[in-house]
Amino acid sequence: MLEYDFMQRAFIAGILIAILASISGVFIVLKRYSMIGETLAHSSLVGVAVALISSNNPLWVAIIFALISAWIIEYLRESFDLYSDSVLSILLSGSLALAVVIVSVGGNFNTSLFSYLFGSILAVSFEDVITILIVGGISLAVLLFNANKLYFIAYDEEVAKVSGIKVKALNFLLVSVVAIIISLSIRIVGSLLIGALMVIPVTAALQYKGGFLKTMLLSLFFSVGSVIGGMSVSYYFSLPSGASIVLFVIGIFIISLAVTRR
Amino acid sequence: MSLNFKVPIFDVKNLSLEIKNQTILKNISLEIFKGEYVAIIGPNGGGKTTFVKTLLGLQPYTKGKILIYAKPLKKFKNWQKIGYVPQRATLTDKNFPATALDIVKMGKTSTKSIFGFLSKKDLKNVKEAMLKMDVWHLKDRLIGELSGGQRQRVMIARALSSNPEILILDEPNTGVDIASQKRFYTLLRELNTKENITIVFITHDIGVIANDITKLITINQKAKVCTDPKKMISCEDMSKLYGIEAHLLFNHTKGSHVRI
Repeated sequence: MLEYDFMQRAFIAGILIAILASISGVFIVLKRYSMIGETLAHSSLVGVAVALISSNNPLWVAIIFALISAWIIEYLRESFDLYSDSVLSILLSGSLALAVVIVSVGGNFNTSLFSYLFGSILAVSFEDVITILIVGGISLAVLLFNANKLYFIAYDEEVAKVSGIKVKALNFLLVSVVAIIISLSIRIVGSLLIGALMVIPVTAALQYKGGFLKTMLLSLFFSVGSVIGGMSVSYYFSLPSGASIVLFVIGIFIISLAVTRR
Repeated sequence: MSLNFKVPIFDVKNLSLEIKNQTILKNISLEIFKGEYVAIIGPNGGGKTTFVKTLLGLQPYTKGKILIYAKPLKKFKNWQKIGYVPQRATLTDKNFPATALDIVKMGKTSTKSIFGFLSKKDLKNVKEAMLKMDVWHLKDRLIGELSGGQRQRVMIARALSSNPEILILDEPNTGVDIASQKRFYTLLRELNTKENITIVFITHDIGVIANDITKLITINQKAKVCTDPKKMISCEDMSKLYGIEAHLLFNHTKGSHVRI
């Protein structure tokens, strides 16, 4: 299958997304923020719908919409006495509603939008791969550079503040990086399923009860394995790539549960 | 022990805090000096934790002034000098993927170099802090697997890893058994006398440490400061502070112990 250019592109993009999703996913899950992936994916879908209507590049418009949504979420969480999951739920429903309205107005691009909902390996262009490599590479560097601070914040936000860590700025940075990663991912995994790739590998890795590094490496391994496995199944059985990847990672989670409960 | 009472670490002047028109702290003025061993007591809801959080910049205040090492709170940057162990720090999330070593390394996070790797000197500080608190042998154990007392010592080791000059603890004995509590107070006192670390802690166990503390702060909206805690601990004072009948039990061999 790797003799085809489109599969090479899909694998390069997919593996980078798996790395990004699992590393950012560790912080998201530990902060009890698992639903943010779903919410931002729906916000980026609004961007895709707007881009299709206005004939712009969907990836960049999706990033802009996801970033705005991420900042609104963090602002509401910081400034008002609201539960995080309620804020995420409001933004998720609002984004989906807006995307549906735009789709209804636009009328004739439902097929294109479908590939953004469930992911399609055929949809990855050479430009997408370059964008994912550059933007994804920068996002990864930002995450790794701040990994220990984000880990401290996830464990104890108050003590991190007293230690002189700029908690507010780093929380904004984390949601911004997550928004970018999600927007980069929806081509391959799909907006309805990317949240799973952020949360399930981490949850499976947590079953092995290791420290920070072990959990992050296991999560990375599960995520990359699921993307390679899922995309291969997708190719041989002509299935949507996102759904195949998510079913693969759920399989890993079930095996992890069984193995660690012995 | 050499006490340097000239340098105030915290200088609080007329501090007041209102939240939604409700007075939480009223006109508090006090100083905490280098080398002191300070206990803060008061009824639940009296504002003890809020007061400590306000001192640390975690809670905005309405009126007054807070100086840390003679600098206004907002301009103070040298947070490495202050170690903080918050309330319920021992009641950790059992599934959090962190070994005892991971937790103590967090104390060095703000000084870490690129990509968060610790320097040899930082690692040495981390090891020393863990040895001091007798938790080095637990370094590879998950924090969720440790007992309340062990977790408490890990949290203090984290605070100590940045070589602080002052350690602030909010009800550090929550979830810790009585035997560990006794050992804990001995360790705390040693840090104060041998390492000259200023200690400030919120507690309900005032009777246990009444003989050691150099300053007692009672907080119930207003604050009262007493530099001779034995004089402070009277039935009348306790009744006023807690709003209930208090009984003083005197232990002739060890000094005064209070039960409320």
